[in-house]
Amino acid sequence: MSTTTNDVNSNSSGGDLGRYFLERSRLGSARGPCDMDEDEEAPTELNTLNSSGGFLVMSPDKLSVKYTSVNLHGHDVGVVQANRPAPVKRLVYYFEIFVKDAGTKGQIAIGFTSENFKMRRQPGWEANSCGYHGDDGMLYRGQGKGEAFGPTYTSGDIVGGGINYASQEFFFTKNGAVVGTAYKELKVSLFPTIAVHSQNEEVHVNFGQKPFAFDLKEFEAQERMKLQMTIEKISLPTNVSHGIVRSYLLHYGYEDTLGSFDMATKSTVPPIYIAQENGSDEHDIVYALNQRKVLRQLIRKGEIHDAFDKLREWYPQIVQDDKSATCFLLHCQKFIELVRVGALEEAVKYGRLELAKFFELPGYEDLVKDCVALLAYQQPKESSVGYLLEEAQREVVADAVNAMILSTNPNLKDSCGCLHSYLERLLSQLTACCLERRSLNGDQGEAFHLHKYAVKRPCLGYPICNNVGFLGKIRVLSISLLFSCFLVTVIRFYRVSHLKFSSWLLAKFYVNINLDRILSHEEMIVATAEGTPIPNFSVEEDERARSNVVKNT
Amino acid sequence: MDVKLQWEATSKRVITREEWERKLNDVKTRKEDMNKLVMNFLVTEGYVEAAEKFRMESGTEPDIDIATITDRMAVKKAVQCGNVEDAIEKVNDLNPEILDTNPQLFFHLQQQRLIELIRNGKVEEALEFAQEELAPRGEENQSFLEELEKTVALLAFEDVSNCPVGELLDISQRLKTASEVNAAILTSQSHEKDPKLPSLLKMLIWAQNQLDEKAAYPRINDLSTATLEDPAV
Repeated sequence: MSTTTNDVNSNSSGGDLGRYFLERSRLGSARGPCDMDEDEEAPTELNTLNSSGGFLVMSPDKLSVKYTSVNLHGHDVGVVQANRPAPVKRLVYYFEIFVKDAGTKGQIAIGFTSENFKMRRQPGWEANSCGYHGDDGMLYRGQGKGEAFGPTYTSGDIVGGGINYASQEFFFTKNGAVVGTAYKELKVSLFPTIAVHSQNEEVHVNFGQKPFAFDLKEFEAQERMKLQMTIEKISLPTNVSHGIVRSYLLHYGYEDTLGSFDMATKSTVPPIYIAQENGSDEHDIVYALNQRKVLRQLIRKGEIHDAFDKLREWYPQIVQDDKSATCFLLHCQKFIELVRVGALEEAVKYGRLELAKFFELPGYEDLVKDCVALLAYQQPKESSVGYLLEEAQREVVADAVNAMILSTNPNLKDSCGCLHSYLERLLSQLTACCLERRSLNGDQGEAFHLHKYAVKRPCLGYPICNNVGFLGKIRVLSISLLFSCFLVTVIRFYRVSHLKFSSWLLAKFYVNINLDRILSHEEMIVATAEGTPIPNFSVEEDERARSNVVKNT
Repeated sequence: MDVKLQWEATSKRVITREEWERKLNDVKTRKEDMNKLVMNFLVTEGYVEAAEKFRMESGTEPDIDIATITDRMAVKKAVQCGNVEDAIEKVNDLNPEILDTNPQLFFHLQQQRLIELIRNGKVEEALEFAQEELAPRGEENQSFLEELEKTVALLAFEDVSNCPVGELLDISQRLKTASEVNAAILTSQSHEKDPKLPSLLKMLIWAQNQLDEKAAYPRINDLSTATLEDPAV
């Protein structure tokens, strides 16, 4: 990080600055960071190995237990934990039990216990545990003595236990309604736990494999609303958002938008005054605004050749080193544009001429490999390197060029300013603060993901849903249903296209084609590195080979 | 690289600038998402032309039909300029359900109309309007009645600029009513009534305050310059 800053200052070509965008260009290929939290595995069944064997019998599906013996004392409780601890990287964890039969005494308990809990005792009777007991409705939290908490429960009742990580509370429900909450002092990992302790007591557990009696979604929505309300009370300096939007438009060279925005803010009643830090600074950001706009437009239209020409004319220092990250990104984009329009032969020529030299350069090889891999697919857009054909890729290149131009400003004080707009810095700070807070909090709670936030449709959000009533909810449901259908289709499609590619891979061993020469990247690297041309390649053959493959498969 | 891990007397974790910058660098904010935030801001705040230009310059699709922004802004502007009657007509053209399902909004618009009549010195017309249009509504709702009485009180003063209810004649009252109509129209279009960006900025302030309890780290105190300030150790 700090080295980047130094290099740019010492190196007038600023190649290192462009490297930042090299990394960004590969973001599309990796799965987004959004999926991180979902990796945490949730409990699915009861743990058959670590239960108090002898006192209870478990069903074959590992989702219900029955106390078969006659209880004699406090150390023959039939306790069983879930197979995994409650996941923590979320707002709420919740599970439910259904009391099939309260047996002779109804001494059923639901709660949470630590991993090494004594498996002959009721949850809550020992340290590092907490349990809501059916026979007295009390909550036990390791003190040996219960505290008045909620109603008792018995045969036919559905009882739930949950952890609210935002408020650091346990909460319990009976037949779909919350009966009470209790502060969670325990910082250790906690297992959902159930206990039965008199003859014929039978309990079924629901880890979410069936719909809950309790409306968990609504509960979560309300929790988020509470937080939202607290946050909304915070006041902001006047027009700070306007200023940030304006600086964003300036930073990325959205000149036309900026013009309209400025005109509109000045003509509203009352006019919106946007504080500008100081005259000279403002002048610096306006730096080369028109050139930056023109170049962005060219790159967004895929006219890389023209963009190169303009750069050579206006900012020769940016493109003089043909092995700089910026030139590389532009060359890759040119190659991608050729593939997009189906000019494969030309793409291959261009690749050999301009991309081959980057194969040996560390940091460049991943992108160059992905680019060349585009040739391997009949429908490159659906392939694993399809991200290259998306608008976002052009955007990265345009942003890289934009940053490079900003860095040529002689009055530049901090080259970091070329890379990040104010908006981006604020958002990074927000994300980092949320992550850090969670990590200092034993990784508990939800993380902040801008992506989820930015794409969230208000209709699926909380405040409005509360007002739309039943019909509205149905509409929301059907939208999410439609969306999941869409997802399933996408996944299926992805699988099929993947399948095609792998069967094609198999088939290419049986079909004698020149195609594999071009398609195996390693060979191309070797070939180009040694300066030997790749033999006998033509696009017609390529097409024929592909149709052969299709027939063979 | 040395990661300074030290515990203060308060057991707060100290995160150095270097370490924090590394964490910031690990955050990958998608350009696409930032563009969406900016578009959402332009659209919600009603900058039609800017939104149009931004769509062309950035390729970001607005989350609302741009054509409806023009209508919404026309309503807002009408209220801001004191043409309340015109505004009510325009809202009803847009979607008659908005006022039907929103008695409070309708009352506030009528109240604004009364204020404008008083401002223009049309005393008789104002009285008639208050008695015929506003009083019946006031009977439905106690708070409406109080508001009505407060507004009519304007008539009791010769010099309204110095009277206790004079703030009703202030431009801010128009803006308040205008933003209420604006929000109602947005809600009727199942769009959030506020842009997301200010909420995110508030969330940043909140998140920094929360983290303050556990750690000392470089903060951003001035949102308008996004400058990172070294932790006070």
